[in-house]
Amino acid sequence: MKENVILSFEDLDIRFSLRGQVLNAIRGVSLDVYRGESLAIVGESGSGKSVFTKSAIGLLDANGTIAGGHIWYNDKDLVTFRTEKEWLTIRGKEIAMVMQDPMTSLNPLIPVGDQILEAVVLHQGLRGAAAKRAAVEALRAVGIQEPERRYKQYPHEFSGGMRQRVVIAIAIACRPKILICDEPTTALDVTIQAQILDLIKELQQKLELTTIYITHDLGVVANVADRIAVMYAGDFVEVGRCEEVFYDPRHPYTWALLSSLPQLGVKGENLYSIRGTPPNLFYAVKGDAFAPRNPWALKIDYLKRPPYFQVSETHKARTWLLDPRAPKVDPPEHIRQLREKGGGRYA
Amino acid sequence: MAKYILKRVLRAFITLFFIITILFILLQHMPIEGYFENFDKVSPAEIQVKLTSLGLTDPLPKQLARFYKDLFHGDLGTSNIYRMGVDNLTIIAEKVPVSMRIGLISLALSLLMGFALGIWMAYSTRTTFKIGERLGTLLIVIVQAIPSAVYYILIQFMGSQYLKMPMLFKEDNPISYILPIFSLSIGSAAYYAMWLRRYMVDEANRDYVKLARAKGVADSTISRRHVFRNAVIPMVQYIPGSILGTLVGSLYVESLYSIPGMGGLLVTAIKRHDNTLIRALVVIFAVISILGLLFGDILMAIVDPRISLVKKEGSR
Amino acid sequence: MVIFRRRADELGDKLNAKLEQELDMETLLAQEGEEKLFSFAEFSSEASEKGGYSNYSYWRSTVRAFLRNKTAMFFLFLMAATLIFSLIQPFLPGQKDALLIHNGEYGLPLNNIPPGKEFWFGTNAIGQDLWARIWAGTRTSLFIGFTVAFVEAVVGILVGVLWGYVRKLDFLFTELYNVLDNIPQTLLLILLSYIMRPGVSTIIFAMSLTGWLGMARFIRNQIIIIRDRDYNLASRCLGVPTGRIIFRNLLPYLVSVITLRMALAIPGAIGGEVFVTYIGIGLPVSIPSLGNLLQTGRSVMQMASLRYQMFFPAILLAVITVSFYIIGNSFADAADPKSHVN
Repeated sequence: MKENVILSFEDLDIRFSLRGQVLNAIRGVSLDVYRGESLAIVGESGSGKSVFTKSAIGLLDANGTIAGGHIWYNDKDLVTFRTEKEWLTIRGKEIAMVMQDPMTSLNPLIPVGDQILEAVVLHQGLRGAAAKRAAVEALRAVGIQEPERRYKQYPHEFSGGMRQRVVIAIAIACRPKILICDEPTTALDVTIQAQILDLIKELQQKLELTTIYITHDLGVVANVADRIAVMYAGDFVEVGRCEEVFYDPRHPYTWALLSSLPQLGVKGENLYSIRGTPPNLFYAVKGDAFAPRNPWALKIDYLKRPPYFQVSETHKARTWLLDPRAPKVDPPEHIRQLREKGGGRYA
Repeated sequence: MAKYILKRVLRAFITLFFIITILFILLQHMPIEGYFENFDKVSPAEIQVKLTSLGLTDPLPKQLARFYKDLFHGDLGTSNIYRMGVDNLTIIAEKVPVSMRIGLISLALSLLMGFALGIWMAYSTRTTFKIGERLGTLLIVIVQAIPSAVYYILIQFMGSQYLKMPMLFKEDNPISYILPIFSLSIGSAAYYAMWLRRYMVDEANRDYVKLARAKGVADSTISRRHVFRNAVIPMVQYIPGSILGTLVGSLYVESLYSIPGMGGLLVTAIKRHDNTLIRALVVIFAVISILGLLFGDILMAIVDPRISLVKKEGSR
Repeated sequence: MVIFRRRADELGDKLNAKLEQELDMETLLAQEGEEKLFSFAEFSSEASEKGGYSNYSYWRSTVRAFLRNKTAMFFLFLMAATLIFSLIQPFLPGQKDALLIHNGEYGLPLNNIPPGKEFWFGTNAIGQDLWARIWAGTRTSLFIGFTVAFVEAVVGILVGVLWGYVRKLDFLFTELYNVLDNIPQTLLLILLSYIMRPGVSTIIFAMSLTGWLGMARFIRNQIIIIRDRDYNLASRCLGVPTGRIIFRNLLPYLVSVITLRMALAIPGAIGGEVFVTYIGIGLPVSIPSLGNLLQTGRSVMQMASLRYQMFFPAILLAVITVSFYIIGNSFADAADPKSHVN
């Protein structure tokens, strides 16, 4: 494993059995996560983002299995983990998680302080008064006023944004190396979203965390990510540094995704929307999964899955359009404008 | 909290008032022979005299007012037939301890069995063969679907036939307690198991359980500290009612085993048409059931921090 | 709890085979030629929509889930057979009258005859044919069960609709509900049976009197949900007619819950009859019912040779009530979209 890589997915295949059928949720996916970086996994609902990251802490739903590949962490292959005991060396301790809905992710019958305490006792090895102090500190660290008083309160006494802060406090009380934030702001008011993102960013720097965001909100991505991985139908179609993906996208799906940002729309014109629907993963996908919805699809896209084409050292995309044999294609108007905004640096 | 309890108590009394009034009006229509020890031998004139002296010929509001006045003085009338001229409350006071003793033992036993079975069932939903789940479901189906008369009789039959247990209850023979207690507890044990399993499975799928797993809490700890605890809370509501319910015992089981308790008393009173005793029992049964619901709600407000000041009934 | 994870099954292997269908590059190039491979394909909006997931039909999945439940199918068959047989039994050849007292050669009643050729299920203490009595009793009990369930559904739905629809009545109905719901059901059942003349109609009336409460509240809550639930609001905003909202969004759920309630009301009512008869205020022996047959059977339980009089009605009672219970629950399970996942 490369030295600066903290978590590495290799040819990962994840399947679910559903109504007697097999659904191929993640299809031979590889991705390196670098130490200390902030990575955003972007994609529409159902593209497999959550499933992908959940596999790293062994929390796939009961009907899901890892059918192939490896997940390397600290020279251990997490895919080989079978027992709960093995997973307990990873969950919380190494990789912690902030979930989407703060209204439901806290136990309504236990004071919030005690829920943080659980993590402190498990992962910081503290007991009694010292543990309690650490839990109060965690509350303070996530910006909750009067943490001593709030410690004894129940989740229903907190607002949505405050509850998400508590969830983050639980995550950081675990002292993890990696923090997975699964749609951390989706369920929150717009005014609160920025606060929560700032908080996570601040904690990331202070605690030297590696963060993985899962989101369908490109606004969030622009705000926090160093790197972006675009997922479509259980596969990463484009991976690159934030600026590269924003200002010089190469995969038609990324074009479509960016074009549908309201901010990029031209006043008076209809908002762009991607035509068609994602493929049915109950069936084997042949070629490029995006091909049927892709106005620039080549014949080969229907026949053969494209390999990754390296755009730069840090930027790659899975599309035949990057093959030297392919006809030259101009990205749509909005995307060209984006490129100019980027000062042409990445083109 | 205090406000909620006060409101709830007030509400219980209003409900109780309505219910007792409704029941009182129904009781007016009891067959009149139930006021006489030997109805066949009484002349029509004598009947009229007796009914008038009992105040049964008065207009309804007047009767109701008198009934409530007596009720506040703790007077529930005297028995006409079952034990002529004896105060109903005296009769009842003799019966309550018997019902209660059997009831409390059964309650403890059913909680124990029900919880053990419920936990086993919830646990076994995640195993390959689901043995606990299957066995528990079988018991629940039998107990819920088959009329209790059928399996009570079968328990009595099997117990007396094959285990040579006494068919009837004798206060000084502990072995004679076994069959009625078993009959009483098996039904509620199945209910407790069913609800506990359902709540535990529900809770186990909640987001906070996922978060607890993500933070590295062992599954066994999650089951104990989060899932079980949260699943038990909604069941707490029924505990006060069950405890109070032991006062009135079981109509079926008590008469099946001739247990001299409250439930058996009602059956006897009906069979012997003792109207005033029936009325006294009906009122007591109604009061106890309302109090059970009241205490259940209050206990719930104490153990569940989420219950806010006003809970709208009917829209639950 | 142990994390339980299903292993990849055969279906997974099939999928693997499918995945390997992709040809390698050389073959493709040889087959199609470079120029053709790297030319644009035509965009078809039809193909782009093809991916969608919705080959799902609610009723089809419900029926499929129900048919797949072997236990439920067994009990459905059992119940249908019992039901049909109990109805045609009197018209079959060689059947005896349920009330007729059979006398022997010397005018003595043929009482307590054990099951045999002449009397299939034997005779009772006064010489009536138990086989005929049991089927007559089954008819009575089923009649009580179905009528109570029917009244519960009709009254419950009517009151529920009124309760939910007319806002002014909400307070009144809610208070009324709170009072009536708090009256112990057994108490009311006993009291009414005591006051009124024993008979089938008394029992039906007593059990229907408060039985509809649960159904009414359920319907009322559903109607309020139609008004307020977001997805229904969305449908309304999109101009979907109310009739269609009821049909598509509400009916599937309503049908399953109403069926479940009715299916459970039947064994409940049958049990209620057994109960009041046991207390001594139920049906007289001149109207055979499973309740009084069981009661009669119990009184002779002490004598080993007469136990058949208890077992036959007990078995039939168990078969009928368990069938309804299981069918109702299995249908409700099958109707729950969550169970359509696996």
